[in-house]
Amino acid sequence: MTQFLIDTVWWVPLYGLLGAIVTLPWAVGMVRRTGPRPAAYFNILMTLLALVHSITLLLATWALPVLHLDRAWLDFMDLRLTLSVEVSSISVGAAVLATGLSLLAQIFALGYLEKDWALARFYGLMGFFEAAMSGLALSDSLFLSYALLEMLTLSTYLLVGFWYAQPLVVTAARDAFLTKRVGDMLLLMGVVSLSAIAGTLGFGQLGIWAETAQLSPLVATLLGLALIAGPVGKCAQFPLNLWLDEAMEGPNPASILRNSVVVACGAYVLIRMEPILALSPVVLTTLIAIGAVTAVGASLVAIGQIDIKRVISHSTSAYLGLVFIAVGMQRQDIALLLLLTHAIAKALLFMSVGSIILTTNTQNITEMGGLAARMPATSSTYIVGSLGMVAVLPLGSFWALQQWATTVGSHLMALMLVVLLVNSLTAFNLTRVFGLIFWGQPQAKTRRAPEVPWLLATPSISLAIITLLLPLMLNQWGLLPEMAVWASMPTVLLMASGLLGVGLGGVLYLSPRSPELRGEGWKVLQNILAYDFHTDQLYRLTVVFAVRQGARLTAWFDQYVVDGMINLMGVASIMGGESLKYTISGQSRNYLLTVFVGVILGIAWLGWAFLN
Amino acid sequence: MLSVLIWLPLLGALTIVLLPAAIAEKRSQGIALLFATAIALWTGVILVQFDPALPGLQFIESLAWIEPLGLTYQLGVDGLSIPLIAINSLLVWIVIYSSDRDRTRPKLYYSLILILCAGVAGAFVAQNLLLFFLFYEVELIPLYLMIAIWGGNRRGYAAMKFLIYTAISGILLLAAFFGLSLLSGVGSFDYALLQEQSLPLVTQLVLLTTIVIGFGIKIPIVPFHTWLPDAHVEAPTEVSVLLAGVLLKLGTYGLIRFGLGLFPQAWGYFAPVLAALAVVNVLYGSFVAIAQTDMKKIVAYSSVGHMGYILLAAAAATPLSLAGSIAQMVSHGLISALLFLLVGVVYSKTGTRDISVLRGLLTPERGLPLVGSLMILGVMASAGIPGMVGFIAEFIVYRSSLLIFPVQTLLCMIGTALTAVYFLNLINRSFFGRLPDRLDNLPPILWRERIPAIAIVILIIAFGLEPSWMLRWSEQTSVALGTPFLHSTTALVTGSVTPLPLPPLP
Repeated sequence: MTQFLIDTVWWVPLYGLLGAIVTLPWAVGMVRRTGPRPAAYFNILMTLLALVHSITLLLATWALPVLHLDRAWLDFMDLRLTLSVEVSSISVGAAVLATGLSLLAQIFALGYLEKDWALARFYGLMGFFEAAMSGLALSDSLFLSYALLEMLTLSTYLLVGFWYAQPLVVTAARDAFLTKRVGDMLLLMGVVSLSAIAGTLGFGQLGIWAETAQLSPLVATLLGLALIAGPVGKCAQFPLNLWLDEAMEGPNPASILRNSVVVACGAYVLIRMEPILALSPVVLTTLIAIGAVTAVGASLVAIGQIDIKRVISHSTSAYLGLVFIAVGMQRQDIALLLLLTHAIAKALLFMSVGSIILTTNTQNITEMGGLAARMPATSSTYIVGSLGMVAVLPLGSFWALQQWATTVGSHLMALMLVVLLVNSLTAFNLTRVFGLIFWGQPQAKTRRAPEVPWLLATPSISLAIITLLLPLMLNQWGLLPEMAVWASMPTVLLMASGLLGVGLGGVLYLSPRSPELRGEGWKVLQNILAYDFHTDQLYRLTVVFAVRQGARLTAWFDQYVVDGMINLMGVASIMGGESLKYTISGQSRNYLLTVFVGVILGIAWLGWAFLN
Repeated sequence: MLSVLIWLPLLGALTIVLLPAAIAEKRSQGIALLFATAIALWTGVILVQFDPALPGLQFIESLAWIEPLGLTYQLGVDGLSIPLIAINSLLVWIVIYSSDRDRTRPKLYYSLILILCAGVAGAFVAQNLLLFFLFYEVELIPLYLMIAIWGGNRRGYAAMKFLIYTAISGILLLAAFFGLSLLSGVGSFDYALLQEQSLPLVTQLVLLTTIVIGFGIKIPIVPFHTWLPDAHVEAPTEVSVLLAGVLLKLGTYGLIRFGLGLFPQAWGYFAPVLAALAVVNVLYGSFVAIAQTDMKKIVAYSSVGHMGYILLAAAAATPLSLAGSIAQMVSHGLISALLFLLVGVVYSKTGTRDISVLRGLLTPERGLPLVGSLMILGVMASAGIPGMVGFIAEFIVYRSSLLIFPVQTLLCMIGTALTAVYFLNLINRSFFGRLPDRLDNLPPILWRERIPAIAIVILIIAFGLEPSWMLRWSEQTSVALGTPFLHSTTALVTGSVTPLPLPPLP
């Protein structure tokens, strides 16, 4: 039985893919009579199968050593590409997480998108999305991972562009694709170079190779930088971070996955590539720098947002920044733990956010208020999700952040500050949002707000229970530290920072009068944060400018210089013919003379050649 | 065997020409389709009979023709030409099938397509330089006529431009072929005999340059490319499909067959220039494509860019890179044919190809959802999204060329991101958004317009998932043609590299 499960591990991603393919006739409108529902149910069934399969596999292989399954895909001349799969508690566990959250998100979507005419298309894309994610979780080859990352890029584009009739959605989808594409292009450069240098793309073999590889520092650095570019784009790290914020224009059920598991996929690949990145200290430092900048910057930016989804999506970037730092410090275990706890809490937060948006029909938190009494279930999921995110009470992320602080943070004071700042700001921000949405007086859009239907409530509450139980699970898996370790200075600082954030947020936003920040200085600061430190200007002045001007210049050159030259030649030859015709007199004696002279010259030349 | 590929379409053309006018109106397409089906089936037979394990020519046919000129009727296929022949037969069938039912002057139209098919097939199988040249020129006439008769508003200009460019290309080739034949003292145009030439290097380089420019016009290599966008924009859809899908490949095919094949020594000296030209092609084509607003121009310039990859891999000339180059020819043939087909459908339904006018075509019920979905697939394949044929072809091209031309390859890879820029622009502007009222009453899409595109998509995905189906044909030929990359990877890496003692895969 175990052997059978292991042999069929590659079915796990295929379930989702099958769901997507079967959904196609509904999605493109070829089947109309049944409505889109059958497609949705089929996809949910497939996801359920994938989840059951991966959980059974996880249980069956829990105690087994790590297995690598190689499946040759292309063996052509000196190019050998394999679709390798790893069966370990980490990889299968990641697949369980991806399929599990996907299942919850799909059930959630059934309620959220109930009246949407394109439900089938949505489910098809979700199936595709899920296939790519669970495939990434299991993948043991950089080649396969790259391919799957690209598929994620494609499906993100299509999911963000789901409501493509709205102009904002169109730009958001484009930006998501192009931003990630920049990262992916650099990643592809890295993958191709690595394939040429190392001769293999399996993670395991690359690890062995990296132990003995002696690359020149420059090559190692360039290679590493190219390789991290992909995850930087995927995890929305600075400077490729803005797409995630814009991507919030997409439907919420996809945002649940995007903010929890999809971003984690990028970091997961980064973790798998760590042995190669470690070849160059510059690359590791870059990772830490990118992570730190993003973590602090995104936490600050989140405070300036008033769109409920964007508030929370910026904190995703911030937490992934912490993951980047952990990888940069070569603590993959902590990075993985943080990914897990963050994914679950963030998915829960997005579910409650989705419930609020569906009920109030707005995403603007300044238009809300007083929802706590009206939507008790949603507000409790929000609270559980928030507590799962920050280190205040000993829920999931507390343990991840605590380990982060005690190991990574205690190495370097600055990094300790980063984690305290992120924790504090996130706690403050979540309290702020809580105050604005659930507290205070109801406004026009929140006055008649019933609790959400069961299709939304059930997955939310199930996930809330999982979030609450997560510390017990971590304990079960032996991932919690000893008592003596966690009763230390960093832990105390961490909890204090969280409490400080909650307290400050509470004072400002849980009071009857919500604060009005007056004065020019505040306004400027607020605008800077609200506009993401004007990062979009950075894009506009660099890459976008270069491409746009390059395109205009080249097109101009093409039209007027290259083609102009050709047309000029054409005109010149026509003109030449036109003017030459006036030299023709039409008198036959002139023609005879010309022929005669020509013949004489020809004979003379031939004779001269003969004589020589 | 191979003669059938040439003479069957010609017989078909003759049949259509000889049809009484009364029947011709109605039956031309049917008869043309019948012949195209027969050609496609015969190509299938050849594919089945072809043995990919042999590096050399197969199905050789040799007949004396005009001996004093050195012109013999000599045919043969190898791994380089057989994929292209297959693409040719496939696309001709698709083009005839998807043609408009009430095309004006059908008799002439379908016979021209069949003559074109014969010319292209002949060029791919000809093993005599002069014979190749004849077919290369034969293919020019129907194409010129088709653009000039059934083209758009500026068809006269475009057709004449096409004619002049391709004629110059032909003259250069003829000059180079004569030069080679006379200077080498072989006195014949037999490909196999000329391969043994031992000319001084300078002469070789001169001849090779002439050949590169000659085929460079056809590929096209920047700056000889401006005929292509004009021809594409003015040509009817069917001609665009054939032009991008097959005819451009004549250039790259010729470059490998008559450039690399005849001058392997000089090629080594010329390759850096070609690689640089490839970079220019990729970046220049992509940048110009970004600035276009006509869908056909975008796809046409994207062709210019993507032909750059073929050029790059051909320049590297290792066995793997040549196989990658052939794979990229197949991939580009399929993808660009698909894109032109779909653009043609959009144009015929909406009456415009201007992406600043089109909007919201993906809308179900009233828009073109299936065409839109296929279009998204097509552009993603072109941008190199894995799972489709474009990715693996480009991957092999990059992977193999990187060892020879690292910087040029990395520069070419920027093209994959730029491809995404212009194609996303196309999709976002014309397929996303709200369908304006002006485009509200689009005529229904017929299955005849969908089936060819779906068939090509299936091929694109099938080869993308199982690339060995495409690569196996050309493996031995590429090994025979290419010069293996002998230096260790230290050429790329300044430090010393320990190669990994890889365990063999189970």
